[in-house]
Amino acid sequence: MSGAAFDHLKVLIVEDNVHMRALLRTLLMALDIKNVFEADNGANAFAILRDMSPDLILTDLTMKPVDGIAFTREVRLSKQSPNPYVPIVMITGHTERHRVEMARDAGVTEFLAKPITAQNLFLRLAEIVERPRSYVRCNGYFGPDRRRRAEETYKGPWRRHDDQSDLEFR
Amino acid sequence: MTGQNPSSPGQKKSTTATKIAPGTYPTFATADAMRLSRVLRDPETTTKAARVIADKADELRMAVLAHVGRLEEAARISDIGAVFEQAHEIRGLAGNAGLAATGRIANGLCKYIDVIDRAGCKPERSVVVLHLEAIARAAHAEDEATRLGDTVADELALLVEKRLSEINVSATGKAGEFIAP
Repeated sequence: MSGAAFDHLKVLIVEDNVHMRALLRTLLMALDIKNVFEADNGANAFAILRDMSPDLILTDLTMKPVDGIAFTREVRLSKQSPNPYVPIVMITGHTERHRVEMARDAGVTEFLAKPITAQNLFLRLAEIVERPRSYVRCNGYFGPDRRRRAEETYKGPWRRHDDQSDLEFR
Repeated sequence: MTGQNPSSPGQKKSTTATKIAPGTYPTFATADAMRLSRVLRDPETTTKAARVIADKADELRMAVLAHVGRLEEAARISDIGAVFEQAHEIRGLAGNAGLAATGRIANGLCKYIDVIDRAGCKPERSVVVLHLEAIARAAHAEDEATRLGDTVADELALLVEKRLSEINVSATGKAGEFIAP
């Protein structure tokens, strides 16, 4: 480990299982990230989000009364959201494809299946830090560009007005 | 658009999407990003963090056993929703508790209940009970990470596949598809 702690970086963990919360906090401490906030569901998390404006969110999927999908939508779409661009890593035991797709369509940045390994978590975080994604706003969706990789051999279907043209970034 | 499928290959469909590039929205400060990247890519950090996870195994194992008790209670009162919830908690924790086979069996049970539920069917009690017994035995075993635990997990996975193939899952679309952990 090199250098001083990341004093001003703030991370929010949203997880209803106390053991998993503790595990994630410990992993963040191993990275020298000290400002870690915890919530046991999406509703409590949103209150912390407004107060603390974290730089990164790690969230579970299944929680009550507000789950990780609804929380992610709130972060991305609510007018009260202090930072709709905040990276969100969803960490869950759910590996069913339809749930993964729900998470993606809610606007999560990265998806990580449990069991957690340090290597997999750190790879996801490195991806976020080193290659921040473009965001897309279109009918019914705001979040990271779901087309993660440009596929040169892709022939369509084309769904965006700017497909096959020079992309205009604002 | 003259009667053609608007999403056919090579053809554009008019959807308004605004793309917002990194740098035009708040991201990590460059200095932080560089430092964090170095730390995240440092093998020493990863090794240290892996040790941290390993140190938690006993604590997590106790948590898994507590969920196994709740799972058995949920099955006793035939609350299939609670069975799924507890099996889901177990599959989430078991891998980090050094109970890989327990996690696999719990994952199989979740898969079975999820697909059956989405197909509008009721789970077979015998399938649920077989998983329950296997989870309980594996979680309590001194060394569940043996070929026996894996064999049981494999056999139960085959059973789930067979049972799911017997129901009409076509109506559920991709419900039966799972990603690799």
